[in-house]
Amino acid sequence: MKDEEIQALMMKVVDGVASPEEEGSLAEAIREDEKWKDELKAFRHIKEVTDQIRFKELPDTYWSGYWTGVYRRLERGLGWLLTSLGVMFLLGFAGYKGLTGLYSDPNLPLVVKIGVSLAGLGIIIMTVSVLRERLFARKHERYEKEVER
Amino acid sequence: MDDAQLMVAVQHGDPAAFRILVEKYKRKAYYLALKLVGNSDDAYDLSQEAFIRVYNARRRYDRGRPFYAWFYAILSNLAKNHLRKRSVRFEYAAQIRGKSDQALDDSGAPDCIVEADEVRKALWAAIEKLSYDHREIIILRHFEDMPYEDIAKLLGIPVGSVMSRLYYARKKLRELLGEAYEG
Repeated sequence: MKDEEIQALMMKVVDGVASPEEEGSLAEAIREDEKWKDELKAFRHIKEVTDQIRFKELPDTYWSGYWTGVYRRLERGLGWLLTSLGVMFLLGFAGYKGLTGLYSDPNLPLVVKIGVSLAGLGIIIMTVSVLRERLFARKHERYEKEVER
Repeated sequence: MDDAQLMVAVQHGDPAAFRILVEKYKRKAYYLALKLVGNSDDAYDLSQEAFIRVYNARRRYDRGRPFYAWFYAILSNLAKNHLRKRSVRFEYAAQIRGKSDQALDDSGAPDCIVEADEVRKALWAAIEKLSYDHREIIILRHFEDMPYEDIAKLLGIPVGSVMSRLYYARKKLRELLGEAYEG
C-alpha cells in the first residue's frame, strides 16, 4: 500500500469513520511498518485532547445587541460612502475652479503653471497606479470581492 | 424559508430577511471566528464584519451555492487577513523592542478556552502556530466536527485532499507538541 493510502486510512480511523475492512488494512500496514503505530497513537491523543476543549460562552447581552451592532455598522458604512462621495464632488469642483483660475491668470508666472501641471499629472499617475494594483490583486485573489484589504 | 430564499429576499431589499440570517448564524459565525483567531473581541468584530460583507455583496450571491459555504468563505478570508495583519504587527513590534516574535505572540488564547489545563493550553498554542490552511482544517474537523465531505464542499477541494491536508496538519501539530506530549 502507498504511504498516501495509509495516511488517508489513518485519518479515517482517528476520526472514527473507517469501515472494519479499512481498520483491518491499517492494522496490516502497521504490522509491516512500526512508524505508523506511533503516529496513530499521537494523532489519537491529539483528537482526545481537542475533544475536551470547550470555548467560553459570551454573556447574553452580547447576543441581544448583535443585530443592532451589525445594523449600526451598515448604517455607518453608508454614511461614510455618502460623505466620501460628497467630499470628492466638492474637492473636484474646488480643483476645477482653482485650476481654471490659475491658468487664466495672465499675471501668474509660467513656471508656476508648469509646476502645478506636473504635480497634478504626478498625482493622477500615482492614483491610476494604485487603482491598477488593487484591481490586479482583486483579479488574483480567491473570493476576491469579499477579501478585506 | 430556507437560506437561499432568504438571500433572494435580501437581494430584493428585505432587511427583515437579512436579520433572520444574522440571527440564525451569529453564534456559529462567532465561535468559528473565535477558533480561527483565538480572541473573543476580534471574533465578535470579524463575525459582524462578515455579515456586513454578505449584505454589501448580496447581488453577487449565487443561488445555486449553499449560503453557509459562501458565508464561510467570506468569514475565513476575513480571519486569514486579520491573522496576517496581526502577524505583521507582532513582527514589527518585535523588531522595535528587540524581542522574539514568539514572546509577543499573545493572541488571546487560551483565555477563550474553558478549564484550560497545561495539556489543553499546549495544544491550543500549537494549533495557533500552524499555517492558516492547517489550522483551518483542524478546526473544521476537530472543533466543528464536520464530515470530510462537508469540509471538501466548504473549502472547494476534493475529499482526498481534505484527508491529505488533515494528515499533514496533524503531523505538524505532533511536531510542534514535541515528544513530551505524545501520551
